[in-house]
Amino acid sequence: MAVEDEKNRNVHILRTGVLSPLKRWGVKWSLWPCHFVTSCCGVELAHAFASGFDGERLGTLNMGISRQANFIIVEGTITRKMARALRVVWEQMPDPKFVEVIGACGERGGIFWNSYNLTRPSDIVPVDFFVPGCPVTPEALLRGVRAVQHKIEGRDRTTIKFKKTKLPSEPGKTCKVPTSPKVLAPTPLVKVDVGRDVDWSSGTELVKDLESRLAGLYRRITITDVNRIAIKTTPEHLVELAQKLRTEFGFDHVKSVNVIDVPHERKFIVEYMVSGYKKELMPVILNVFAELAREAKPEIASLASLWMSADYSEREMHDFFGVRFAGNAGMNYKFILAPEVNTPLRKDFKLEDESYVLEDNVPYAPEIKPPLPAELELPLPEGLIEDAESKEEFVVLVGPHHTGSGHLRWILRIKGDVIMEVIPDPGYVHRTMEKLAENRLYIQNIPLFERANISDPISMQLGYVRTIEKALGIEVPERARYIRTMMTELSRIGAFFYDSGIFSLFLGHSTGFMYVWAIREMILEAMVRATGSRCTPTFIIPGGVRRDIPKEVIDMVDNFTSAIHKRLKKFEDIFIYNPVFIARTKGVGVLSRADAIRCGIVGPFLRASGVEYDIRKVEPYDAYADLDWEVTTGDAGDCLGRYMGRYEEIKESLKIVKQTVDALRRIPRGEVISEELLGDYREASEDIKGHMFDVYGNLVLPKGEWTTVTESGRGTLLYSIVSDGDSNVPYRVRIVTPCWMNLRGIVEASKGERVADFWAIYGSFGYFPPEADR
Amino acid sequence: MMQEMISGMINTLMGTIMSNQIHVPVLEPLIKLLAQLPVGGFMVSLLFWKAFFAALICPGFATVGILLLFFPWIERKLCGRIQWRVGPNEIVWWLGGIIQLLADTIRFMFQEVIVHRDAHRPYYLQFPFLTFIPTLLPLLFIPAGSIVAIRTPYAIQIILALVCLFPLFILGLGWASNSRFAFIGTVREAFMYFAYEIAFIVAILAMIILYGTSDLVAINNTGTWGILLNPVAAFVFFVGAAMATSRLPFEIAEADQELAAGPHVEYSGIGFGLIYVLCYEKAYVLAGLMTVLFLGGGSGPALPGLGELSGLIWFLVKTLIVMTTLFVLRVIYPRYRLDQALSIGWSSLLSLALVAVVISLGVFMIGGGAI
Ligand code: SF4
Repeated sequence: MAVEDEKNRNVHILRTGVLSPLKRWGVKWSLWPCHFVTSCCGVELAHAFASGFDGERLGTLNMGISRQANFIIVEGTITRKMARALRVVWEQMPDPKFVEVIGACGERGGIFWNSYNLTRPSDIVPVDFFVPGCPVTPEALLRGVRAVQHKIEGRDRTTIKFKKTKLPSEPGKTCKVPTSPKVLAPTPLVKVDVGRDVDWSSGTELVKDLESRLAGLYRRITITDVNRIAIKTTPEHLVELAQKLRTEFGFDHVKSVNVIDVPHERKFIVEYMVSGYKKELMPVILNVFAELAREAKPEIASLASLWMSADYSEREMHDFFGVRFAGNAGMNYKFILAPEVNTPLRKDFKLEDESYVLEDNVPYAPEIKPPLPAELELPLPEGLIEDAESKEEFVVLVGPHHTGSGHLRWILRIKGDVIMEVIPDPGYVHRTMEKLAENRLYIQNIPLFERANISDPISMQLGYVRTIEKALGIEVPERARYIRTMMTELSRIGAFFYDSGIFSLFLGHSTGFMYVWAIREMILEAMVRATGSRCTPTFIIPGGVRRDIPKEVIDMVDNFTSAIHKRLKKFEDIFIYNPVFIARTKGVGVLSRADAIRCGIVGPFLRASGVEYDIRKVEPYDAYADLDWEVTTGDAGDCLGRYMGRYEEIKESLKIVKQTVDALRRIPRGEVISEELLGDYREASEDIKGHMFDVYGNLVLPKGEWTTVTESGRGTLLYSIVSDGDSNVPYRVRIVTPCWMNLRGIVEASKGERVADFWAIYGSFGYFPPEADR
Repeated sequence: MMQEMISGMINTLMGTIMSNQIHVPVLEPLIKLLAQLPVGGFMVSLLFWKAFFAALICPGFATVGILLLFFPWIERKLCGRIQWRVGPNEIVWWLGGIIQLLADTIRFMFQEVIVHRDAHRPYYLQFPFLTFIPTLLPLLFIPAGSIVAIRTPYAIQIILALVCLFPLFILGLGWASNSRFAFIGTVREAFMYFAYEIAFIVAILAMIILYGTSDLVAINNTGTWGILLNPVAAFVFFVGAAMATSRLPFEIAEADQELAAGPHVEYSGIGFGLIYVLCYEKAYVLAGLMTVLFLGGGSGPALPGLGELSGLIWFLVKTLIVMTTLFVLRVIYPRYRLDQALSIGWSSLLSLALVAVVISLGVFMIGGGAI
């Protein structure tokens, strides 16, 4: 049945028959949403059903299973892969059933409107009600539930109609049609190893050392910045060079794998960002790259056998560019893309451009390209079932619609009660940020990237903005540095609370979830007061922050931190020191130091395995160097260790917040945006309101590749921007989020554990799929 | 001849009914009034016939029905309170959402029942109904105060036998569903059965030794609080009950986050509705048993004018408290793993149960015989 015909069918079911009033009354008060988390709006959904707003008041009890639910709340973006799941879930549900779509993404794509991986939920299932917002607030969401109730009752609920206004025009004066502000160089000059004179003595030594010991394997070694070295090599020498780097120099992990498409020079640049966890190597990032001819089937040797941390990223690049990494096991199927999308990140794959003037009477609906296939099914990796059966293993598919899966699919191969292998199937929330970023102004990308992770938005912005600042060489005013630090730490605390909530749910403990989300509500409140938005503030901008924070808000943040301390005590009692919790997590999913480094996990999870690597200490930014705090490390490497490590870290964060609050009380109000950037708009240095586009519209980064790492709530966040020096949009942006790196950790830690432990491990890694899939 | 036989039978029947009436002093005038009506007298005496009353009204059918309609609401409200929220309250807001479950029931009734292609159709449809047999039958043997449907010296044994049938029907559900999660859930259910069953039975055995009888009415009439004499047995019984009714921290077979509700993942509509209330019924039966065995059954200060109903009310109150405790566990504990639950069942719980037997024997010796 086509979606058009299905529209309102369910309401009709309820409207017919003698018992109609009874039916309607029953269904109205018993809308049970099935657990179908699709995207970042899910964070607000969880808030709506946690203690702050308590959606259960309306009789809507969150039910995990589609067969028993009668209501879907589609939370934002529906990607191609998720579209299939949505349809399946919807069909599994018994009639009468209802759909509410929340979030701008669910209507016409929102901020991702021209992405290649997006669909519209209304094309997939009949939708009963839309709630706009990005993300919607919990209040709006619950109001949406109310609206569906009214619809069931038969009450009309016409919502706002937008009025059309004519643009004012004076007779005799011609109006110009607005044009795109984008400036694109026709033949961009892409060079990733632009040399720079910097004051870095140990770097010069390291380069000398590299030059002597790698003789014959490289073409050129350049220092591109402090702590950044680029090594150009050839595809033939890549493996040997990598081997030497690993064994002789101790570069033990890959931070990112990147491919840059340069069609007019008929080449791909394949890069590996390599680093080491030896004390002196920690801040250093080597960019090992080779140029590859742009043929029909480009192929290069895989380094996954040397550095396991490169494995998934290589698969990702294979999906994006069609570059084969010979030797990688994942080259015969699409890892994160849907089957119908091919090589979307190549430059000849064009996205739709913004239209600035709409035709009269033509409904605005960007085309969905490539079209969705008629058969919505998701293939498993070939031969998986047969292989499992021959080994007497049982294959269980967890997710994407499953109470304990989040938004990705896990393929569990189990034997008895023991997990033999876990195969991740990510990409259900892949919203193509890297491609979209190539089509937007630098400044427009800030809101884009923060949506990768709205449970830790400030860190996401900070990483990107720092990259721009680094390229432009901007100093941030002192007050702004402290504000940034305070906000980042609040955001980190929020991310931890988010993860603890999910963790406790995974262990079947709903009270832990409720407590910790109630506390999180306070963080969001602080966020609202300071920035104006709960989860998507776009607060940090190049050169500082969007506006100064008034004293009352600073006082409030101070009060909150002490209130949080008190509430945390209760949470500790019910969850952290709960004997069952400890029994479930202690000694489960152990990753030794060597294993943790090998599979490339990052952040607090790596520190829990005994690696003292915290970017805030290794390469301090903002105000971290001036504050008094400690890095928390552990050596257990199990679920409990990972969790407790983070918990301790949060206590440090609260300490940092306290110090920043004191500092902000001391530093006089005033400049929060760097004056050198503002130029003619100095008066905006306290609040950029109204001058955003004037100041930042034409931002152009100097030529080269700019890479920064930032310690986000869940670990190392890497941005690397390639600029051609002429365009005001980036040529290529590579983001590697901590969750993407931690994916491998979950897979490795689960091997050989019991089935139920999988959720303990999964939860302990704080995996946030939208962040991982980007 | 025939007539004589029939009237004889009626007389014996009436004799049985009349000899076993519930005495409620406050209602006495009303009953007298009704007795003057032609069939009224028979109806009233039938209604107040203990066996009939116990089976159909309390602790039997009607009570179960009312309980199912309101207990989940109590549970949801209470859990909400513990979790810093309020729970359902918008539906009929001036009653605090008390009829929430009514709406849910109506919704379930009018919801499509999906039988998926892979299901074993006949069994799949039967089992939700069949499961009611072992869960409702024990109620015939549980005395509410002095009111009981069937009094037998083997009451405990019969109840135990029926209680041990619970998992069997769950296994049936899961097997008939023929789905992967249902399969794993079923296997877990089977394992869990072994985890608690022996300890559970041994704990009850300890109480039989203590009381020297397995007649629940006799036990009820002693009015002793077994929990004071043998707290260990009470503890083992309670944990066993939590395991048998799949309550957290032992909600392992259903494990929402792991198995998406395990054995009944595929049920929809009224089929699920029936299964949803099943655990409340199980809990009711076990809580009732616990009340009689450990909490003195219907004993308590007599309520003026209520006569035998007084015992019944005490029984209900105690049962509700036990049930609530059982259900509130879910907001206090996370979930154990299957192997952990098994080892708890086989090591700690079983040894505690044996300790309970020893205690009972001790009490038996010191007290110089059964109570
Ligand atoms: S970007 Fe995220 S928060 Fe915004 S509407 Fe889409 S799903 Fe919701």
